[in-house]
Amino acid sequence: MTFNLTLSGSDLLLLLPEMLLTVWLCVVLIVDFAMPRLPKDRLAYLSVGGLAAVLVNLLWFDRAGVTGTLFANMFVVDRLAVFFKLFIVGATILIILVSVDYVRRFRFFKGEYYFLVLMSALGMMFMASANDLLSVFITLEFSTFGFYVLVAYLRDDVASNEAGLKFFILGVFAAGLLAYGISLVYGETGKIVFSDIASASPTPGLVIGYLLIFAALGFKIGAVPFHSWIPDTYHGAPTPVTAYLSIAPKGAAFAILLRMFFVSLATLKPAWVLLLVGASILSMTYGNIVAIAQRNIKRLLAYSGIAQIGNILIGLAAGTKMGGDAILFYLLTYLFANLGAFAIVIAVGNLIHSDEIEDYNGLNRRSPFLAFAMLVFLLSLAGVPPLAGFIGKLYIFLSAINEGLYTLIIVGLINIVISMYYYLVVVKKMYINEPTDPSPLTISTPMKAVVYAGLAGTLILGIYPQPFIDWVVAATLMFSNLAGHTAAAPTILPFGG
Amino acid sequence: MGDYTLLTILFAPFLGAVLLIFVPNRQALQVRLVAAASAGISLLAAFYMFFAYDSAKGGFQFVQRHEWSKELGIAFYLGVDGIGTPLVLASAILLFAGIFISWHIKDRTKEFYIFLLILAAATIGVFMSLDLFFLYFFYEMSVIPMYLLLGIWGSHTKGYLDMTDPEGLRKRDSVSFIFNFAANSKEYAAMKLTLFLSVGAVVALMGILLIYKFSGLHTFDILVLREQAKFSGSLATIIWLLIFFGFASIAPLWPLHSWSPVGHAAAPAATSMLHAGVLMKLGHFSIIRVAFEILPETTRELMPIAAVLCIFNILYGGYVAYYARDTKYVIGYSSSSHMGYVFLGMAALDYISLTGAVLYMFAHALATGMLFAMAGWVYDQTHSRDIPSLGGLVNRMPFVAGCFLVACMASVGMPGTVNFIAEIMILVGSWNKYPFQVIVAVLGIVLTLAYLFRMMRGVFYGPMEEQYSHAHDAVAMVDRLPLLLMIACSITFGIFPGHFYNVIRSGVDPLVARITQVVPIAAQSGSDELRVMSDELYEVAGQQASAVGAPGANRSTLITGDPLLQDCNGCPPSPITGREP
Repeated sequence: MTFNLTLSGSDLLLLLPEMLLTVWLCVVLIVDFAMPRLPKDRLAYLSVGGLAAVLVNLLWFDRAGVTGTLFANMFVVDRLAVFFKLFIVGATILIILVSVDYVRRFRFFKGEYYFLVLMSALGMMFMASANDLLSVFITLEFSTFGFYVLVAYLRDDVASNEAGLKFFILGVFAAGLLAYGISLVYGETGKIVFSDIASASPTPGLVIGYLLIFAALGFKIGAVPFHSWIPDTYHGAPTPVTAYLSIAPKGAAFAILLRMFFVSLATLKPAWVLLLVGASILSMTYGNIVAIAQRNIKRLLAYSGIAQIGNILIGLAAGTKMGGDAILFYLLTYLFANLGAFAIVIAVGNLIHSDEIEDYNGLNRRSPFLAFAMLVFLLSLAGVPPLAGFIGKLYIFLSAINEGLYTLIIVGLINIVISMYYYLVVVKKMYINEPTDPSPLTISTPMKAVVYAGLAGTLILGIYPQPFIDWVVAATLMFSNLAGHTAAAPTILPFGG
Repeated sequence: MGDYTLLTILFAPFLGAVLLIFVPNRQALQVRLVAAASAGISLLAAFYMFFAYDSAKGGFQFVQRHEWSKELGIAFYLGVDGIGTPLVLASAILLFAGIFISWHIKDRTKEFYIFLLILAAATIGVFMSLDLFFLYFFYEMSVIPMYLLLGIWGSHTKGYLDMTDPEGLRKRDSVSFIFNFAANSKEYAAMKLTLFLSVGAVVALMGILLIYKFSGLHTFDILVLREQAKFSGSLATIIWLLIFFGFASIAPLWPLHSWSPVGHAAAPAATSMLHAGVLMKLGHFSIIRVAFEILPETTRELMPIAAVLCIFNILYGGYVAYYARDTKYVIGYSSSSHMGYVFLGMAALDYISLTGAVLYMFAHALATGMLFAMAGWVYDQTHSRDIPSLGGLVNRMPFVAGCFLVACMASVGMPGTVNFIAEIMILVGSWNKYPFQVIVAVLGIVLTLAYLFRMMRGVFYGPMEEQYSHAHDAVAMVDRLPLLLMIACSITFGIFPGHFYNVIRSGVDPLVARITQVVPIAAQSGSDELRVMSDELYEVAGQQASAVGAPGANRSTLITGDPLLQDCNGCPPSPITGREP
């Protein structure tokens, strides 16, 4: 195999967003070192400016339909990759905005924080484009690298150190699994590009190899039984990092999962449906039931995140183009609702220095806006109309019922009710209980901007989802050859218009 | 107004809620006025819709259809037929009345009105949805405001655990007692209500998803599904049971009712009104709209379930209401008991009985709304809902006592109120199929009389406690207006039910014809001639009914015209008659 490394201008164009971000994160680092007197808030806005440029670039890719592959199919730019890159960049912008107040509390390395966030974003953008097993490994480790540092950022805080250590040890272990799985798959097939291995026959070595890769990615998304790092890491990490960790890597990992299951494993679908059904049922049920017992809002959101991942896995288990659409749409709703909820947690945490649910008592009296926003985000996570989460859940269920996954849907529906309970417990504390300290709470402008963005996203996706549905449907056109095994597919309105 | 009527009714409260977000909380009067104005617009539009509904034409009118998502097969599709129209009207009336009933709420006025408006608008949305997705959308949307309304502005049921009957036994409503380990707080009531209704909702959602998949039509459009979807065998049974029991939990059908009295008791007055008045009807309405329309054959086979369970509804609800000490419990259980009548009317699947059931939903909304409003007034004045400790309040509040009497009369079904007509129609229409249930229902009326007047006597007559001497009457116009509005509607429609009857008939006729016409394979042999004959009779009867315009003439159709229908009902060897209990 020979690599042809002569890159033309149009090839470089495909890398433009990544190159832009690379340059920008160097700029941020240099500015931080060269101008030590500069208030660190400026760095945040500088980073947001660079990300905004990347965002515009990606939007242009999306509108113009730029596609192509690079480096012998290692790196692919298609609608799916662009969707996930937009998702990641959007999440990163919002995360940097919610970090501003929090970072001010750090004693050291305020500037490096933004650099590390941007670096993780860069790694995840490459993840979205990873098209073979080797690039999966490199990009996944690259993006996780930044997170190892970020999770343990509060170096005086024992919980943060513990979180960082747990995350690191388990993350390295998962990396080992991934490397071993990749080597098995490569040994069996002699190929590493997803589309090339599609035709391989399932030998035991290949099956074990894929199971190991799935375990490593399952660790990344935090699906049961690979979830054990989530609660402690989420709890101990600085809250903006927790928020980041709970959204962006999940999206990037799902980009890889979609490519792996829908492209290279499409022919073996009956074999892996059961695996995903199992993981999904376990994640939803475990996450929701354990969340009931939580006293800390970060842990509650950690477990609810595990349950949400279980919901998304339903779409993966459906294994159709519609399942893919549903996953993408669900991730969008999850982005706004979960990030919004974390923004409130950060805002409240900054003001009252506590993440205990008990301390949310009477939030409605102290800050009606924060309480109302939290109400909307939690209800969206629970899947209550007219909010985004409801459409996301319905989309997922519709894709699953077309494939006849009744057990999964029944479990999913029961879990909606369970999750409603613990979300409503938080609502009860905020609205019904009386505050111990009734002094009003006010939040800063960047924080407000994020909360407004979350509210707008949650409401618009819930009330007028059509443009977004069109978008995700266009993003997964590459999967339209995936056929369901039921007769429900040939309908009046064919998928994809 | 034309085509925008339904949008006005639906979105006026929503817009009101959005507007309220921008009104500062300190401007309480402004908040109330905005809420009242949006509810008023909605009410006017609802009245316009009701009177402009062309009952000769029938079918779905004021239709609005906007494509919402092609990929998912969802359209924002609104329209009302003879069944939806009265319920939309009832919701608008109760919302408007509820705004004034809650005029004196001090704590977080703005939030209260926002949630109240969303609750009512969502309810209205269900009654006009012609798309299964939006029906569920609005249905589920109405549940969450209830949680907050109960939790924040509700009241604890004091002494709930000590509630005893005259013999000193523990309280009788043991179903809720089983799940209630601590004191019966409003938080408990709110959570119980929300979870119960959510469970019901997801059960129904499963049914809706199955309809979506197995119709193979890739649409949620009820009208398309009604015409084209065919379900049979065990699949149809499963879907029907999911839909029926999912929606019956909010209705509330007997074994699923335990959330309802607890919720009613904890809720603030306006919420109880809306809740008992219209929210509970979402259950019946959704069963009619989904199960009756899409699965007519299965409905005919399985509806006897409701006929059996409604006996328990009527008797159990009435029995507990008689022994309850809490005013709101009495009214709550009486609602649950009265919902049994609606189920009876629906189960009989007869033109008259189903018309009666729909009319009863409207009538009950007004009657129970008044009762809850007045119980709320008494509670506000005395801070007590304990019947034995109250008494003699007629001296302090003659106006409220008078209204209460009218509401009791309406609830019992006294001639002159719309409840009377509805009750009679249910009883007459069901007699052929379910004589036993009709006897039970008549007993239920006696029970209603007993517990309502027992409460009336306990609260308003007898010696008055000294501590209640500061209680005062509803004097201000804002306090009297909602009561007078509800009484006026109840009596006006009771004396002139003509248009009402025609409107409902125009919706019920095609539905019942669809359900009862279809003869199952087992009974088909030899009955073809009879069936054709009965079809013609149905048509003749339908034309007669819709041709009658004047109110006076209409009353006579009610009595003289109906034997014709009942006769022809007996014509086809109906499978239900063979199997009736």
